[in-house]
Amino acid sequence: MTNLEKYNDIFVQVFGADIALLGDNYSKETVSEWDSVHQLNIISLMEETFDLMLDPEDIMACTSYNAGKEILARNGVKL
Amino acid sequence: MARWNIHNVSVRGVSACVPKKVVHTEDFLFFDKEGAEVFNNTVGIRERRLGPDSLCASDMCQAAAEKLIAELGWGKESIDMLIFESVTADFHPTPPTSCLLQDRLGLSEDCFCLDIPMGCCGCMYAMNVAGNMLSNGNIKRALVLIGDTALRMGSMQDKSRVPLFGDMGTAVALEYDTTAEPILIDFHTQGSGYKALMTPHGGFRHPLTPESFVQEDFGNGILRAPKDTLIDGMAVFTFAISKPAKTVANIIEELGIDRENDIDYYLIHQANKLIVDRLVKKLKLPVEKVPYNLESFGNTGGASVPGLMVTRLREQLQKDEPHRLLCSSFGLGLSWGTMLLNVKNLVIPELIEI
Repeated sequence: MTNLEKYNDIFVQVFGADIALLGDNYSKETVSEWDSVHQLNIISLMEETFDLMLDPEDIMACTSYNAGKEILARNGVKL
Repeated sequence: MARWNIHNVSVRGVSACVPKKVVHTEDFLFFDKEGAEVFNNTVGIRERRLGPDSLCASDMCQAAAEKLIAELGWGKESIDMLIFESVTADFHPTPPTSCLLQDRLGLSEDCFCLDIPMGCCGCMYAMNVAGNMLSNGNIKRALVLIGDTALRMGSMQDKSRVPLFGDMGTAVALEYDTTAEPILIDFHTQGSGYKALMTPHGGFRHPLTPESFVQEDFGNGILRAPKDTLIDGMAVFTFAISKPAKTVANIIEELGIDRENDIDYYLIHQANKLIVDRLVKKLKLPVEKVPYNLESFGNTGGASVPGLMVTRLREQLQKDEPHRLLCSSFGLGLSWGTMLLNVKNLVIPELIEI
């Protein structure tokens, strides 16, 4: 499994997302279930999947699919 | 770097006191049956001890201290220092409660007294100050009292806060001892996050005015006024699952600690199950070495760590064999601390109920 596949799988696990829809428009604004609990679930899975310990700023900033990618990049994960 | 290796100081004993009254999650009127069950299963706090408004943190600490002094067999005149750590002092803002306790406990007029109001990291702050003052031998015995009645700081109609806390008062006895293993204490502060846990009105920045008492409905069962303490749940959660974990991980790595074999117990501030579980998972801690008491007592603030020692590790820590404890606390400020200490043959009275 590539890192991108692992990352996409997080959204499948948390939202049951259709991978084809993951992209620029997948965010807190467009996904009605994306509340603080789901956001923390995404973060938890990102940390476990990529063996990271994210900062509070990253956790708060994880409000879209693309933002998550940026957070991973900042923490040295290449997708 | 705010890190200390405190030499020549031993912990001699720990005690704790709680109110008799047990409040179950189902007892809160803002929960229906299903809501209470969800709360119990996720946040993990099924019951907590809550005292009447007439009971102060200092009363519980006093009871804990009296019992501990008696079981240690310490003469009261031998206690050189008394620290009272609490954000729920008897009087606001003066006089210092530690001075009142010096009198109520019948300690000597030669006893150095100090109040420290630092919230959930309070035990570590107080032990740090007491430990460093004992370390050079100028004083020989210190009593550190840690306790809070946190619910009384806020609105009883704030669903985001009320079910989280419980009342507890604790006492820790420290003594100058040249044979003691060093106590490591490491602290950090992120003051930019202070708004996550605060009481907006009532200090000198915003003294109490009639508007301080006007309740606002924030939705989701949160009704509170500016005089009430608030919690920004998301901000606190993100802080609690990130900063303390990184620091503990760094210390474990720096000191070359083997998680399975070098530490007997990991005492994590009992904020709520979500946070503690997350820290255990992130830090890859052996779960059998992480005691919990939040299901029975809730978040007891600074008393959390000594409370765990009394309610969950009493039998083990009284044995005449060394135990190495790694403690992690986090809270107001925002602040977080880590403490590594060795204990042996502790005097731990049974949990006191008043």
